[in-house]
Amino acid sequence: MTSQNSNPKPPATISCAEFQEQLPDLFASGGSGEPEDPCLVAHLKTCENCSALVRDLQYIADQASLLLQPTHEPSDNVWKKIQEGLNSDRTDEAGQNPSHS
Amino acid sequence: MEQQGLRMTEIKPGPSLFKRNPPIAGEAEAIESAKAGDAEAFSKLYALHKRRVYTLCLRMLGNVSEAEDMTQEAFLHLFRKIGSFRGESAFSTWLHRLTVNLVLMHLRKKGLNLVSLEETINPSDDDAPKRDFGSRDPQLTGSVDRVALERAVASLPPGYRMVFVLHDVEGFEHNEIATMLECSTGNSKSQLHKARLKLRELLRQPEQSIRQAGLKEAAK
Repeated sequence: MTSQNSNPKPPATISCAEFQEQLPDLFASGGSGEPEDPCLVAHLKTCENCSALVRDLQYIADQASLLLQPTHEPSDNVWKKIQEGLNSDRTDEAGQNPSHS
Repeated sequence: MEQQGLRMTEIKPGPSLFKRNPPIAGEAEAIESAKAGDAEAFSKLYALHKRRVYTLCLRMLGNVSEAEDMTQEAFLHLFRKIGSFRGESAFSTWLHRLTVNLVLMHLRKKGLNLVSLEETINPSDDDAPKRDFGSRDPQLTGSVDRVALERAVASLPPGYRMVFVLHDVEGFEHNEIATMLECSTGNSKSQLHKARLKLRELLRQPEQSIRQAGLKEAAK
């Protein structure tokens, strides 16, 4: 493809596969998934499929915070066993320090 | 019983962990009393943190019985070692790191080698996320509720679920996850990306399919 006017040279086109290979790094370390590379930006602007994919992945990452609030509760038996363990610790300590009163 | 290799040192958490673990009213006083051996303070700390610790164990293990055992272990370790907590990081961050390390040690003891996620717990072709090139499906945005997401996360293969829960839910950074799982940072990023792709795929399926995927995962 040759440039036919004086406009700046457009970014090289990339395939969906090439774009999607970059996604793990785009989203890493709290990234928003918004690319800075002109090739990736150009692809995102023109590819409906990849832009939907980026929106969905960002949405899933955002929605994950919904799971931070716990909904599950351990049975009462767990606390009973913890208390038994702590009591056993105290008994062992007392056994090791018989002079302690 | 002392478990070898469990890290009890306080590592300064990333900013996301401070944001996600704000101080809880009454917690500081309970910690100080617990250090002095006050049984009531132990009870209070358990009440404050039991649900989050148990939920974390349940998500990582996918099994109620094991999750309860690990919750018990985590709090016993906590109460035995609370004297070494110096308040340099949020208490809940310290507790969650302790819990994650215990669960990982438990999984290693069971023979699940976490050294190389790709080689050992990489899902089968059936479970791997599908490549997305060219597909035109409905978007997820605005359509996923907590219950659907919880169910989809539960049906993820273990390696994907582990990294997704640690990074996206618990807020650990990739370098922290890499240290905990003894894998590379790149491996952690890759697993997370595949986990999100798999979740997208699961969440776009009818609910019945997600349930079936969950049953399949539970049967493994």
